[in-house]
Amino acid sequence: MLIENLGGNLMGTIPLGDIVLYLNSLHIFLFVTILVFTALIAISRTETQVEAMFGSLDENKVSVGKKEFKQRRFLAIICGIATAGAMITGDLFNFTLFMALIGIVNIGIVSAVKHVDVLNSAYQYGLIAMMCGLPLFGGAAMILAATGTLSLFELAAIPASPMMIFGALVMLIGVCGESGIAPFFASKAEMFRTPGSPFILIIHLSSLFIIVRFVEILLIIL
Amino acid sequence: MNLMAQILINVIIAFLAGSLLLGFHRKVMARVQLRPGPPIIQYLLHSLKFFFKETTFPKTASIPFYIGITVILAIIWVTGVIVGPVTKGSLMILFGIYAIHKIVEHNAGSSSGSPYGKLSCVRAVFSAAGELPLFAVIAVIFLLTGTMDISGIIAYQSIHGPLFFQLPLAVLMFFTLIVTKSPYSPFAITKGKEIISGFETEHFGMLRGYIMFSESIAWYILLWIFLTIFFGPISVVGYLIGMIVICIITGFINATTPMLNPNHSVMTQISIAVICTVGSIIMIII
Repeated sequence: MLIENLGGNLMGTIPLGDIVLYLNSLHIFLFVTILVFTALIAISRTETQVEAMFGSLDENKVSVGKKEFKQRRFLAIICGIATAGAMITGDLFNFTLFMALIGIVNIGIVSAVKHVDVLNSAYQYGLIAMMCGLPLFGGAAMILAATGTLSLFELAAIPASPMMIFGALVMLIGVCGESGIAPFFASKAEMFRTPGSPFILIIHLSSLFIIVRFVEILLIIL
Repeated sequence: MNLMAQILINVIIAFLAGSLLLGFHRKVMARVQLRPGPPIIQYLLHSLKFFFKETTFPKTASIPFYIGITVILAIIWVTGVIVGPVTKGSLMILFGIYAIHKIVEHNAGSSSGSPYGKLSCVRAVFSAAGELPLFAVIAVIFLLTGTMDISGIIAYQSIHGPLFFQLPLAVLMFFTLIVTKSPYSPFAITKGKEIISGFETEHFGMLRGYIMFSESIAWYILLWIFLTIFFGPISVVGYLIGMIVICIITGFINATTPMLNPNHSVMTQISIAVICTVGSIIMIII
């Protein structure tokens, strides 16, 4: 299977031993987009949530404190950079590391919020992310055991064996859990109720972009 | 023709055709509900009108995201035109564009500070499951044709015949996605009327203009992709007839179906995606 058939024409490669970094239209599109969003997060201020209070004419305003703002902005930028790395890496092991880092940072972004429902949700997501670390790394290990390499460039040239397919499917479970997408998103949705729009955006953005990239990786392996 | 000229012409076509198709879609819905409905050109006039109205910014908004997100939406859909009708590039990039569209729904809703936008933002996270049928469709098409390039898929169909007849379950999945993205859809939980206009509620003036401009292009591109990847090389008249027929069908569905609650909406889409993906793979193997 040609690697160009998935994400467009190959624009260049950087061989680092057996790991070959490669760029195509899809990677550049995802990489540039995530960097634009990360730059916007770095310069954005947060919104103030305003709700009418029941039984009176007052308003309830919820905003992000300065110390919390700085902590969450730092973690959001780290999450953006980790996602950008996952978009251009040519190595399956690096991808799993970036994925694990994104999962940890996602929990960190909401753990500073003093809101019981949000913290409960982050705790549940954390448990799922932790459990899914095993299939994530285990799947990559199975592929390594079956092929002797984790370079995507090399994997594209190797015909899929049953163990490679099984490893890829196990990895899919790991990615779904770590990124908190369906059917695991129920544990994550409450996290988005917290104020701090730019920071919670990166949680959702990183999950969706990781899935787009993993679809490409999955099809390379299959 | 010069590439820049091609891009410009295709963006204008996508905007005009998309706006008129959305207006037509609304007309069909109105006639099904025994109402006269607005003129077909109404959506286009609304879109243009917003570019000349005063733009205001809520004091509570997260600036510059509140502004930037609408510009990002317009840019990604112009990119969609370039990757789709202009260069016939990779379906994976279009998949990425739909992912960013979901992010725009999410951030446009949360960045204003409005509770309606916030609810829409949380629902956007749930409704990300709506992208599953798209992922499943492109994966199934790749397994059959061996390429993600739209030009490659067209070439495959010119030899083997339309994919419409070879992958009927993938067609059903993609059609579910079209219904999901159509206005007043039973799956359109991010724009439910109980949350006013959802994530668009607090965007006024030029910012709303950008959103409506992008929605027109998004609708056109969605129909264009469906017709291209399932019917292969077809003429301009073929595209026109196909798009009108899809608007009539989705108009009937949306006019007669109430909006589902978020859980039912998500589970319906996931169920359709799983059943049709497994069915399509079995059909390819057989």
